[in-house]
Amino acid sequence: MDQPSHISVILDLSPSQWHLSSLPQNPYPLSLKSFLAQVLAFLNLHIASKHENTLAIFGAFPGKSVMLYSSTDPASDSSDSGSPNIYRPFEIVDSRVVTRIEEELESIDDSQEEAPIGLVGALTKALCYINRIKHPTPSTQSNGTTVEDPATLPDPRILILSVSPDLSTSYIPIMNSIFSAQKLKIIIDVCKIYGPDTVFLEQAAHLTGGSYVYLERRDALLQHLVMSHLPSPALRKLMAVPTQDKIDFRAACFCHKNIVDVGFVCSVCLSIFCRPVAVCTTCRTKFPMSTLRRLDAYLPRAAKQANGTAKTSAPPTPTATGLPSTPR
Amino acid sequence: MPGASRDGTIDGAEEDPPHTLLPFLQSQSQNTLTRLYQRPSACLSMFRLLPPLDRQLVMNLLWLESAVPAGTMGAWVTRQGRKLYDEALLNLSRLHILPNPSVKLSLNGMFKTSLRQAVTGGGNNGSFGTAALKDDKHPPVSIEVLDTYAVERWETILHYMVSSGTGQLPTKPSPGVLFLLQRSGLMSTVHGSALQITSAGFQFLLHSPHDQLWQLLLQYLHMAEEREMDLVEILSFLFMLSTMELGKEYSIESLSVTQKAMLEDLRDYGLIWQRRTQSRRFSPTRLATTLTSLLPPLPTATSSGAGSQDQGFIVLETNYRLYAYTDNPLQTAVLNLFVSLKYRFPNLVVGSITRESVRKALANGITADQIISYLSTHAHPQMRKNKPLIPVTVQDQVRLWELERNRLKSEEGYLYTAFASQADYEYVLNYAKQLNVVLWENPAKRCFFGNLEGHGNIRGFIERRTGGQA
Repeated sequence: MDQPSHISVILDLSPSQWHLSSLPQNPYPLSLKSFLAQVLAFLNLHIASKHENTLAIFGAFPGKSVMLYSSTDPASDSSDSGSPNIYRPFEIVDSRVVTRIEEELESIDDSQEEAPIGLVGALTKALCYINRIKHPTPSTQSNGTTVEDPATLPDPRILILSVSPDLSTSYIPIMNSIFSAQKLKIIIDVCKIYGPDTVFLEQAAHLTGGSYVYLERRDALLQHLVMSHLPSPALRKLMAVPTQDKIDFRAACFCHKNIVDVGFVCSVCLSIFCRPVAVCTTCRTKFPMSTLRRLDAYLPRAAKQANGTAKTSAPPTPTATGLPSTPR
Repeated sequence: MPGASRDGTIDGAEEDPPHTLLPFLQSQSQNTLTRLYQRPSACLSMFRLLPPLDRQLVMNLLWLESAVPAGTMGAWVTRQGRKLYDEALLNLSRLHILPNPSVKLSLNGMFKTSLRQAVTGGGNNGSFGTAALKDDKHPPVSIEVLDTYAVERWETILHYMVSSGTGQLPTKPSPGVLFLLQRSGLMSTVHGSALQITSAGFQFLLHSPHDQLWQLLLQYLHMAEEREMDLVEILSFLFMLSTMELGKEYSIESLSVTQKAMLEDLRDYGLIWQRRTQSRRFSPTRLATTLTSLLPPLPTATSSGAGSQDQGFIVLETNYRLYAYTDNPLQTAVLNLFVSLKYRFPNLVVGSITRESVRKALANGITADQIISYLSTHAHPQMRKNKPLIPVTVQDQVRLWELERNRLKSEEGYLYTAFASQADYEYVLNYAKQLNVVLWENPAKRCFFGNLEGHGNIRGFIERRTGGQA
């Protein structure tokens, strides 16, 4: 039960969203600065819990994603003597993360600021990183330095701290990430700090057995993080963590990337479309005209008028809705 | 012993035994502990020694300003975790981290402030050790040097212990170490002769280095109590060492007098390294910096220079043959405790586990379980492919040899003989059987043997009977 654990933290660092979040008209304004202070305290607590606990931090910036810190990094050029008032590993994490974030935010120019957030990139990098530390390559084993690697992790986790709204274009990559996380037995925790609930991250937490927390009292961020995201999976059996009881299972269509209530699913490859199509764009299966005509009859009127660009309303239909099953 | 209640395993959930230091800390007064909690580094290290659920509780309460009603926190606990949760509360209250857990939950104020400081890096009490200024003449020693030093020191102690009875004369550890070994009952003098290893000492040799280290340090703490040294100073120095960084030099300026006096002892154990005895700076070794990690971070295990000790080195076959890939005299000597060694090659020792060799070990006070656990912790990676790890035949045989020693069992009691008639005998015997005190009976000779507890009743019974007839 008392095994070392690993957390990969993904910080959503969209400048525009953080600006909106810090505006005083919010019920609990939260600036990026105080957010980082609380997150760093959380990370320190994770390292403090156990000598062998490891950590990786990824930043999602507009249009790109960066690894900010990992505990497997070679030790820094620690020529500075260090303060006698702080535990050295804390000092290293804190200073490294803060300087890296500053560098990255400085380098963003105005044209990039509105680019979509690189959350998927960060998520994929985190998965790759965990995959790497779970399966040390033969080369590191053969040179004899890492024989019993302490990083043989029983329960790696990913924690996403999100402020940006859903990007419907990223539905497919996020779903693929979820499937690989399930395969690697990685739990994805999500803490939604600002903005509306995101459908995809809710699903990510639900499908991987993680907890999804929508933060209402944003002044209590640290307490929420500690109580619901710090316990290791083994500990969660003894002390419950909050989970979402209502999950939005809606999917995004593959053709227009809209989140749909009612979708049309290709019977061969399970691709989802917002309206009946003659040929599946993914697997090139042709559907007979008679079926198409029958399906067109089920298509709600609003959707017909808007020609598939607007969100469809939801009358009962015989076609599948919601989540696609695992691709075969 | 306080904390003994936590030793039991909880249905299904395997629980590691609590850290050896915790019972000792629980026995300390509130005053001592509160003084200890003034130091952020001590709080951080103690926090690490706690079991996982206790840690989570502390973290849940750490950032709350006001107390939480006990019921609110209890609502988070699943049914499965109820028992562990109650134990965790009890444990924390014994350590005075959580006063009055039955009503309201709120951390000890001093502990809370210090742990918060440790995590956020505030305050300026320098409890994590002042780094020494750069010395241009002497660059800081490399980690390899520190590792070799620590291993060399530590093995000197163990080697001295293991070869004390064999007539060889290995390098003697310093008088301080010898005294500690004697005080802890690991070694003793018989009739004023040289120190001899005791059965506790033999058991000690088979423990992991991490356990051995804490066992000795615990003795050191007990001894310090008698020497009237300040326990808080000692503990906080040990905790400070455990948070220091390997391969760095620290200045002794900020240490107290007691702590400066400790430097010498800790140098002998291999926990710290100093260039000269009068040096103004010291470096902690791996033994010291891994003090608070619970997984076995063998100081030898990660050092690259130690060769075969890096990993398991023992291959054991079903025919009781044992191959140990080692050139380390200490490991060979430890194996010699329960293996009869046959051949020795530059990198390999071959022997076999025999009845005689195991009985010798058993006579020294080593148990069969200790032998088996030593073999499995030091098993060669090749052997780890086997399931079960240690051949079942060998495991069973070692246990059987242990049972052999316990063929005779002595029990105190009374022999009842000379019954007047067979009926009398059977009447009394029947009564004794109902009490479940009969150990042996022989109807032909009209006698039986009952244990001590039953004697009063049986005697009364016979007296009443004879009295009634008379």
